[in-house]
Amino acid sequence: MTFSLKRVVAIFEKDIKDLSKNMFVLTSMLMPLPLAILFGSVSKEPSIQMHYLVINMAFALVAAFVQCALIAEEKEKNTLRGLMLSPASTFEILSGKSLLSIVLTVITIVISALLTGYHPANFFIVALAIFISIFFYIALGTLLGLLTKSIMEASVITLPVMLLFGLGSFLQALTAEYPQLSFVEYLPNIQLELLATEVQNGVGITDVWSQLAVIAVWVVSACILVVVTYKKRAIDE
Amino acid sequence: MENIIEVKSLQKMFANQTALEDVNFHVRKGEIFGFLGPSGSGKTTTIKILTDQLFPTDGIANVFGVPSIMLRKKGYRKKFGVLTDNSGLYERLTVYDNLKLYCQLYDVSFKRITEVLAMVNLQPEQKIVVSKLSRGMLQRVMLARTFLHEPELLFLDEPTSSLDPVNSKHIHDGLRQLNAKGTTIFLTTHDMNEAELLCHRVAFLNKGKVQLLDEPQKLRRKFSDSTMTVELTDGRKIILHNDLEGSKELYTYMSTGQMASIYSNEPTLGDIFVEVTGRKLV
Ligand SMILES: Nc1ncnc2c1ncn2[C@@H]1O[C@H](COP(=O)(O)OP(=O)(O)O)[C@@H](O)[C@H]1O
Ligand SMILES: [Mg+2]
Repeated sequence: MTFSLKRVVAIFEKDIKDLSKNMFVLTSMLMPLPLAILFGSVSKEPSIQMHYLVINMAFALVAAFVQCALIAEEKEKNTLRGLMLSPASTFEILSGKSLLSIVLTVITIVISALLTGYHPANFFIVALAIFISIFFYIALGTLLGLLTKSIMEASVITLPVMLLFGLGSFLQALTAEYPQLSFVEYLPNIQLELLATEVQNGVGITDVWSQLAVIAVWVVSACILVVVTYKKRAIDE
Repeated sequence: MENIIEVKSLQKMFANQTALEDVNFHVRKGEIFGFLGPSGSGKTTTIKILTDQLFPTDGIANVFGVPSIMLRKKGYRKKFGVLTDNSGLYERLTVYDNLKLYCQLYDVSFKRITEVLAMVNLQPEQKIVVSKLSRGMLQRVMLARTFLHEPELLFLDEPTSSLDPVNSKHIHDGLRQLNAKGTTIFLTTHDMNEAELLCHRVAFLNKGKVQLLDEPQKLRRKFSDSTMTVELTDGRKIILHNDLEGSKELYTYMSTGQMASIYSNEPTLGDIFVEVTGRKLV
């Protein structure tokens, strides 16, 4: 099977054209910014927890939620069927459909970091970890979008999922009281925050392999689930 | 001539009901094939099975000589186009931009957009945002999209169901033009008139089976009672049989100048459908 970048870009281009008139997506994208402004103004040096509260919000609202809404809309309006029946492969369609959300998430996180004044001690490691994490949230959004029938349903279903994956240290604080919730520490959001804290304490990439690996496992598992669900959706019940 | 579609003993069950019981037919390369039946008879289900959007429960559904499930392979995607009730457009984009995306997906030059829009009588609307179009216009854009890439085989599920007569005629002309260039067309409709105007052969689908399959003209002859009606100048209508007796009577009317009009009493496809299935279309 040959990969055609042209088809991926065509879908991306279409989504960009669509974005300027899509108020729903535009407003969701802007939502983390007020929080970033607030944190940036109340504290001279916001804690890692504060930075990641904003970053997690960007993951949840822009990467996962916007992606979910974009996919759900393609389903609701029966346009996904047209893509599926076209010569574009599963990989081309899913990549094309993810590009816009990835770009928007990166933009939102960069702006947020500028607003909160986040300066990672090792930019490369943190940027890499955030970038890998984005793929998890995009895959999560895609999965939820494929599982729901409409944008409305998608908005409802994503809420609890976002609380789980969108909140950072709050969840971790809970594990102290409820040991049975200790699995929470393996969530990609918690691992990312852990990594960021350690990096801020001065460790190098060799000391954060485990966190990166856990996040990568989440990405791969989510992607597999997406592809399986997508293939199922290609056939009506 | 080889068959482009072959359907044998096709069966489709949904959870609690049988949509297709035992469907058999084939479509020849190069023809316009009409698949007729009342709503709920399984026309859309058949198209979805033939285009790999639905799995058959049992039986054979071959397209291009391979099981329709193979159509998901990349090489086949450019060979067919399909319009069903689950086709959709991007509402916030213009007609042109919607078609542009599909040109890119199918590796077709953008010049083709103007051509297909002309075929569906929508050239002036190309810069209009899709959400502002009427239902009929939407249907025409979706139709244009199906033959953007000049497919070998076109599946059209009730392509003119929300069009006015003028636009229906325009679409019919366009479809004939495509067909003349070599596109085989599999068309479902519950409009008998459309089938009669357009199709080389038609199949009647009812109760999960194909009840009848032939050329429209042959069907009309087969079901004809060989009578004619003569309308006289005084307004009377006389039914004549196609025999010596009839010809004598006809001679009388013609030679005495009493005849105003004469026509054959061949049934329409709609009449035949009712006769065969005991059921009205629609
Ligand atoms: N996804 C589905 N689930 C259950 N029943 C279905 C489904 N799709 C179609 N049917 C049923 O199958 C029958 C045939 O439907 P359809 O193919 O849409 O008919 P037509 O296109 O001729 O109007 C109908 O009785 C319909 O209710
Ligand atoms: Mg139908």
